[in-house]
Amino acid sequence: MKHKMTCICCPMGCELNIDDTDPEHPAVSGNRCPRGAAYGREEMLDPKRTVTAVVHSNSGSVPYIPVRTDKPLAKALIPELLQQLYLKDVQVPVKNGDVLLANYRGTGINVIFTRTINQ
Amino acid sequence: MFKEDFDVTIIGGGAAGLSAAAATAAAGLKTAVIDREEYPGGILLQCIHNGFGLHRYKTELTGPEYAEKVFLEAQKAGCTFFPSSTVTAIGKMTDGKRLVTAYSVRHGVMELNSSAVILAMGCRERNRGNIATPGSRPAGIFTAGLAQRLLNVDGCLPGKTAVIIGSGDIGLIMARRLSWVGITVKAVIEIQPYPSGLPRNIAQCLEDFDIPLFLGHSVVRIDGNDRVSGVQVAPLTDGQPDLNKAFAIGCDTVLLSVGLVPENELSRQVGIQLDPATNGPIVDHNHMTGEPGIFACGNVLHVHDLVDYVSEESDACGNAVINYLRNRNTPAQGKIIAGTYLRYVTPCSFAPGQRNLYYMRAQTVMDKADLIGAVDGREVFRQRLHQVKPAEMIRIELPPEALAGNPGKTLELSLHPETVR
Repeated sequence: MKHKMTCICCPMGCELNIDDTDPEHPAVSGNRCPRGAAYGREEMLDPKRTVTAVVHSNSGSVPYIPVRTDKPLAKALIPELLQQLYLKDVQVPVKNGDVLLANYRGTGINVIFTRTINQ
Repeated sequence: MFKEDFDVTIIGGGAAGLSAAAATAAAGLKTAVIDREEYPGGILLQCIHNGFGLHRYKTELTGPEYAEKVFLEAQKAGCTFFPSSTVTAIGKMTDGKRLVTAYSVRHGVMELNSSAVILAMGCRERNRGNIATPGSRPAGIFTAGLAQRLLNVDGCLPGKTAVIIGSGDIGLIMARRLSWVGITVKAVIEIQPYPSGLPRNIAQCLEDFDIPLFLGHSVVRIDGNDRVSGVQVAPLTDGQPDLNKAFAIGCDTVLLSVGLVPENELSRQVGIQLDPATNGPIVDHNHMTGEPGIFACGNVLHVHDLVDYVSEESDACGNAVINYLRNRNTPAQGKIIAGTYLRYVTPCSFAPGQRNLYYMRAQTVMDKADLIGAVDGREVFRQRLHQVKPAEMIRIELPPEALAGNPGKTLELSLHPETVR
């Protein structure tokens, strides 16, 4: 099957054409640099995104505290991670960079707080 | 009444105000930052997504992380932060100093007597009135930034199914955010033939969730009694919506992401001249407005798309304030104006012996264009640009030799496209 996507590595925004007739080795064309080819392949084989969300807290002043994954997470794992985060109720104080969820599903990816809330 | 003397008073504690404060306070100037919110950081605090700081901190941060970094810089440098305080007036004293009056939750009425003032109030969103969308006036219509605040700060869901008007970056970011909290985004409607947000946001915020983007379409009516029930969308033909081809999209929520306007009520009150192209103050190469001792930087000056450039511009503004208070400012040597295919250039003058950093915006989309600087029709500067878009601010540092030896002259910057789309 043929796919079209916009490369997001730089502002050029190349239109990539990807042929995944061989699903293990998708063929990328339309890219103007090697980064585009690598991006196209990763998007086909194992697309990843940094996930950001807010979690509920017992803080009197900031009831929802922002969090993110410390590395991009496989797209397929995102919905379940979000469900887990929405059920959290965290105790303050928390510090920017503190780990909320360690090594999510064995991926080596942590969810960290992105704001310091003292009370 | 609370009164205190400062060398510099900065109005607004977002990225611009805090960056400028870090510069002036680090130079030993007694610096105050006044902000109407409880916490420093401005709009960054509700921008919980990543993508900030790649230029300034060489790492990818979320808004709150960027805010914390820049606030710690200002705090370490020794600036005084006044939270929950709204500035109501900037007066002029007989000795030329400025009196900033504010209402503060902690201090009541306060007066800060200052040798210099930096305007860093940021911008606010255009709303339904600005784009004159017909229809009824039900609940469920939000600006994208308001919906962002409801979700990310207050933890409230704005609705269940949404249509987003305008493809600005905040709208695109919100499309992903809404999808991630279980709200269905039916469509994004953009009146221009090209998206106004960054390609990366189109890819990661719309394509990831199969959200259709209607380019060259306009919302011609919002329907609903108590709550929004849907919108009527029509394609544009010769710049006019073709109502014969209109179609309905059902939704209970409409978000507007249709541009930002610098927030200059205070500037107007002081009598500062604004540039109709940016809606921000006209400033010289020292970032000083037409009023001596009053400076401006960040989104109050012109709307940026990257916070990194807000900080860069505000650093420069802070440094100019330091020089001003030490009587070391260089007078303007000549003016800079925007020529063909440029909507604006800021700042609007140049001087020898300092960094000549200019920000500008193109009027239309171009694959390749030459940015040319000319004095009296004589070319003194040329740079090739690729993928020029109105959505992406152009940042140019002019080499000193381009500007040397042109006293009293006007430098015209203009874009010369190879092909116009």
